[in-house]
Amino acid sequence: MASDSSPGNFFTDPSSPDGFSSPIGNTFSSPAHQRGRRRRRSSPPSDATPPPNGSRFASSAASPTPSPAVRGGSRGRGRGRGVRRPPTSPPDSANTDDLPLPSSDFGDDMDEATPTYVWGTNVSVQEVKSAIYTFIKNFRESQESSDDVYAEAKYMMLIHRVLEMEGEWIDVDAHDVFAYDQDLYNKMVRYPLEVLAIFDIVLMDIVSSINEMFDKHVQVRIHNLKSSTSMRNLNPSDIEKMVSLKGMIIRCSSIIPEIREAVFKCLLCEYHSDPVVVDRGRITEPTMCSNENCLAKNSMTLIHNRCRFADKQIVRLQETPDEIPEGGTPHTVSLLMHDKLVDAGKPGDRVQITGIYRAMSVRVGPTQRSVKSLFKTYIDCLHIKKTDKSRMVADDPMEVDGSSQRIEEDVRFDEDKVKELKELSKQPDIYDRLTRSLAPNIWELEDVKKGLLCQLFGGNSLKLQSGASCRGDINILLVGDPGTSKSQLLQYIHKLSPRGIYTSGRGSSAVGLTAYVTKDPETGETVLESGALVLSDRGICCIDEFDKMSDNARSMLHEVMEQQTVSIAKAGIIASLNARTSVLACANPSGSRYNPRLSVIDNIHLPPTLLSRFDLIYLILDKADEQTDRRLAKHIVSLHFEDPKSAELDFIDLGTLTAYVSYARKHIHPQLSDEAAEELTQGYVQMRRRGNFPGSSKKVITATPRQIESLIRLSEALARIRFSEWVEKHDVVEAFRLLEVAMQQSATDHTTGTIDMDLITTGVSASERMRRENVLTATRNIILEKVQLGGPSVRLLELLDELKKQSSGPELQLHDLRNAVATLASEGLVVLHGDSVKRV
Amino acid sequence: MGGPPYDCLSNPLGAVRFAFEKAMASGSHPSAFGGKDWGALDLFRHFLSEQSALSQVPILNPQTIRLVQPNTLVRYRGMIQDMLGNEFYVGAYKDGSSWRTNKFADVSQFPMCSSPDMCVWERRLLYCVPVPGQSSWTKSSYQPQLNQGMESSSQKKEKRRRLDVEDMDRITDDELETSPSAKKMREGDCFPSSEFRASVPEGNFPRTCTFLDVDKDSLPCLVKIYDSPESELKLNDIFEFIGVLTFDSESEAATNDYDEVSNSFSDDELVQLPPNKVPRLHCLIHRKLAVHDFLQSSPILEVNPHIVKEIREALLRHLTAVLGDDGIAAHFVLLHLLSRVHNRVDDVAVGKLSLNLIGLSKESVSVFGTRLSNVVESLLPFTHCLPLKLEDLNAASLAPKKDYQINRLRPGVLQIPEGSHLVIDETQLKAGSLDAVGVENARLLKNLTEFQKVEYDFQYYKLEMAADIQLLIFSDGKSNILPADIVIPFQPSSVGSYKEVATEALEAWRWYLATVRSLPHSIESDMQKVVEDDMVAARQADQSLGSQDFSRWLTMGRLMSSSFGETSLSMEHWQMVKELERLRRERLKLK
Repeated sequence: MASDSSPGNFFTDPSSPDGFSSPIGNTFSSPAHQRGRRRRRSSPPSDATPPPNGSRFASSAASPTPSPAVRGGSRGRGRGRGVRRPPTSPPDSANTDDLPLPSSDFGDDMDEATPTYVWGTNVSVQEVKSAIYTFIKNFRESQESSDDVYAEAKYMMLIHRVLEMEGEWIDVDAHDVFAYDQDLYNKMVRYPLEVLAIFDIVLMDIVSSINEMFDKHVQVRIHNLKSSTSMRNLNPSDIEKMVSLKGMIIRCSSIIPEIREAVFKCLLCEYHSDPVVVDRGRITEPTMCSNENCLAKNSMTLIHNRCRFADKQIVRLQETPDEIPEGGTPHTVSLLMHDKLVDAGKPGDRVQITGIYRAMSVRVGPTQRSVKSLFKTYIDCLHIKKTDKSRMVADDPMEVDGSSQRIEEDVRFDEDKVKELKELSKQPDIYDRLTRSLAPNIWELEDVKKGLLCQLFGGNSLKLQSGASCRGDINILLVGDPGTSKSQLLQYIHKLSPRGIYTSGRGSSAVGLTAYVTKDPETGETVLESGALVLSDRGICCIDEFDKMSDNARSMLHEVMEQQTVSIAKAGIIASLNARTSVLACANPSGSRYNPRLSVIDNIHLPPTLLSRFDLIYLILDKADEQTDRRLAKHIVSLHFEDPKSAELDFIDLGTLTAYVSYARKHIHPQLSDEAAEELTQGYVQMRRRGNFPGSSKKVITATPRQIESLIRLSEALARIRFSEWVEKHDVVEAFRLLEVAMQQSATDHTTGTIDMDLITTGVSASERMRRENVLTATRNIILEKVQLGGPSVRLLELLDELKKQSSGPELQLHDLRNAVATLASEGLVVLHGDSVKRV
Repeated sequence: MGGPPYDCLSNPLGAVRFAFEKAMASGSHPSAFGGKDWGALDLFRHFLSEQSALSQVPILNPQTIRLVQPNTLVRYRGMIQDMLGNEFYVGAYKDGSSWRTNKFADVSQFPMCSSPDMCVWERRLLYCVPVPGQSSWTKSSYQPQLNQGMESSSQKKEKRRRLDVEDMDRITDDELETSPSAKKMREGDCFPSSEFRASVPEGNFPRTCTFLDVDKDSLPCLVKIYDSPESELKLNDIFEFIGVLTFDSESEAATNDYDEVSNSFSDDELVQLPPNKVPRLHCLIHRKLAVHDFLQSSPILEVNPHIVKEIREALLRHLTAVLGDDGIAAHFVLLHLLSRVHNRVDDVAVGKLSLNLIGLSKESVSVFGTRLSNVVESLLPFTHCLPLKLEDLNAASLAPKKDYQINRLRPGVLQIPEGSHLVIDETQLKAGSLDAVGVENARLLKNLTEFQKVEYDFQYYKLEMAADIQLLIFSDGKSNILPADIVIPFQPSSVGSYKEVATEALEAWRWYLATVRSLPHSIESDMQKVVEDDMVAARQADQSLGSQDFSRWLTMGRLMSSSFGETSLSMEHWQMVKELERLRRERLKLK
């Protein structure tokens, strides 16, 4: 093959006798493109400078079976578009067109009075054309139409913009078409090949009327069809129709250059032939040099760099997991991408595509006489839109830190679904129903589930002007006896939460949870790697076996749970990573079983600083209670013997629940109503006052500012559950109740029975502190009385006996005394040597 | 309806066409069918309604594949391993003035290139493989039927055609070589209808040797399904397909000729499943198979409590002998063999009863483990044995994995049909480190034991498939990778050999296991009360008992009464369960 060293563009070559060189230049294998080409010739200004790319209907026509049977109106042969089979006919109508006719016919046809019809239908080409024209010229979005009639039509505006940007296509929302002209929409969906080609012509007409010099070919791209099909339901009747599908890209072919126009050169006289147009997937090599002086036979050779190619790519789309019925495997479909759509998606992307469902017959082989009766189907892709990656929307739109480049088109819940969800939210018992539907196989634990529900919905995060921020995430700690399905609850929430990591305390290290810095072994650069908490940003981080976590790892959680960031300061890297995550942790009591005689702190053995960062702490105790046991027995028996259908209560299934949560998190941002705010203040004041009940000399803190923040978060979450934009009074009341339930279980001072936040914040209750104070005073008195300065030392046990004689209070332990003596020693009153105390 | 003027067995397509023409004659238009049946299936159902007719249809397997002729009626038994989606084909087209159909065929019989009137219909493609882990005793049941089928079909030969000598030499199966039917078979071909003959271009004429590349042990098959709802055929189900066997010899040559574009569209079946390796079956009738269909014969047809009890005793004696006179373990093994998942509530698979025999060392496994595996293999139709080794765990994923390069599901060890039995030998496991694959495999096994679910790897996401697999685990201590429902220390008291069992007894046991396993079960309200009381009392006595223990008790109760052929839980059986539990707990304590 000879290669031409002067890659001149033959389009601009004046010597080229390109009498009817395509203005669009799309020389496709399929006659369909030729139709399109001819049609587009009608735009005169583009004649001289053909735009580089063309129609999207390129397909490799596999079966060259021209049908003589189909011709359009009287002179409609130029209107190749008129050739159309009835919808039930086999899908190779694209190939049934005749050869392209001399282009001169076309312009005449355009002005002809006799209507031409799309073959086999009553779709008039002229009508469609004018309908599209009026649509483009006149469609305005509803909200602007009322006050501003003179505003430019939406698509005219778009066209202007495209002209300015030198864009190549215009996205047309099918909903707009539907709203403006239902009939046009229906025609477009049923006969997309024809209607879109007309659309393109109209577009080019308009473009050329605006700017005669605009030489690019502008295409129309339809998206957002009224109804989208599932891949599974594509059937023969959809062939040649416009369809919209959701799916996941699983494979992309490499980019295939498809030849559109070929140029040949004579090996003898160096004469360059006219561009040869691809005809039905083939290029006919000229057998003879057309130079009059040469006329050599079989001397022509292809010049690669003067041929024109277009990009093409074949992409495989697979059903998304949620569409696969039980016991099935996902279906796949091939997509044909052209030009700009090439590489628009990568494997793994979830996309919604709009395209034309096509089929081509399978040639068994060139030598075969019998055509295989099979069709291979594919979709000529018109438009591709990426949808979100994960099944749920993890985005919290209340995000205030201004990352504006977040993609707008995340998940758009389709209207029906939203309607359904809203319907659901209007039910009066929605709160209870959601609670019931949460882990339905775990019975009881109503309040715990309610707390978890609040965690799922979450409150609003707040960023103040000063830069300080308030988290909206609710942290929950479950403490309980083994075998009380804590882990199951955790697993369930993990499954449901928008994003999240499930980890077990025992297997987590500090860096595994937060982030760590490593040296890249090859480059030696320091690299930051995210841990579980950072990865579950905007989600829920479930930590099982919280108590078995190393102290080092736990201490890392302090920052995360209040500031919601992870800061790293290591050689080379100082960074602060976002970790806006809710923490759901569960722990076993320190003695594996909860000891009711010990305080919560003693039972849990967690540092109080960390404990106070949990909004709700639930104690799930396995009470030896015959009632519960009986319920358990009944539950299990029914599990084994009852018909599963009859046992089905009105649970909301997992999918709906997920959608409900996602929708609420995304779209509902409740605000405190005045009434609710009032209630909140009142309640808080009351809660604090409870510590100072008359007759009590000691100071008991029943609530701290952290609690009021928790309360706000909880009430916001409760409003979200109802899809309400306002936090009502009853939300606050319920939040108080939830908090109190959790507090009563965890922060009750078991000696007095009142709630004591000190238990959580310092690990020592007020009454305990009072007692210690008493012991200390008594010890001091005894030592001052009994022990001589510089005299013989006294054994601790003796002191204890002495103390016991004096005090009438509750039993005194040796370690209490030891504590007291240690305090005295620090005061410098005594010295402690092993077991003996000596006054100094 | 009178006798059909064609042979359903050797010319099924003729029958299809006959019915089609009849439907056409009565004035219907093919587009009205929409691909639905026009009465052809009724013909075949009618034909197959006689038991003898069914047995005449040859079964497709590696032995018979060389003998059966294309375009004849065959049977194929297999598991749906993968679903390859739908395929559009020209269902009906006009040839001149008359309509023709392509249904149940790959290649049109009449030239159709210039026909403008075509109806495009769709069919589903299923990739089936022989049931994994099929016990040898189920396979032997094919043989007699095969010969019978060959006999009858060969008698109907009208035309004879010699096969290449070379091909005959390749037939290695001695039995078939010498059997008279096979000889006849080799002498002739199967195209009795002259019409059919004429319609097939000579170049297409299939040679019987096309399937020579077939693997000796397994014969996959691409089944094309017509007219049946999607929900009827599920992944991993075992089916018997009766349909037309076809293949097109030309495809081999054709594959090279594809240009890149069409190749990427049609990469899958033709390239990955070459027709000379994977036969195509156009399914007319399909039927889901149960264990019963794999039994040799059904010696007893009704559940008679007396007989059932006798068989139960005999089987239990046998199991006890096999287990070195460990009666308690034998009881548990029996219950275990009867278990199946009969209900799923959320994540809980109700009815599973996995068994972990502990106290087995590497040495004792080689005696008792092998023995027990053999016994299980001889009793259940689908059995697997999986020695858990570190290198194997790290080597390859146990779960099926979607390979997007070939757009197929690569089978994994854990892709096995419902009701399979899996023996996992953990004693082989040595200390060492697991890599990512190994950890994933350990997790898969754990999920399988806990939830009876297997996650299929679709690369971009995982798809959970419900499974129903009986798990028997051998380990030294309690297995943590596979947390079984029942952990029992195995305490054999003798290593004495057990005597071989007569075939009749084996058959009776197989029948017993298959039948009793599928019995319905219920509980009377007063019995329910007793059970609940027992549970409450047990929990009062021992707080550590949880829902899992109670669940196990109930499953055992159900299986215990089932094992006696009864359909509701009785006091006596409940007591037996409690006693078994007590003995088991005692053993655990001693350990």
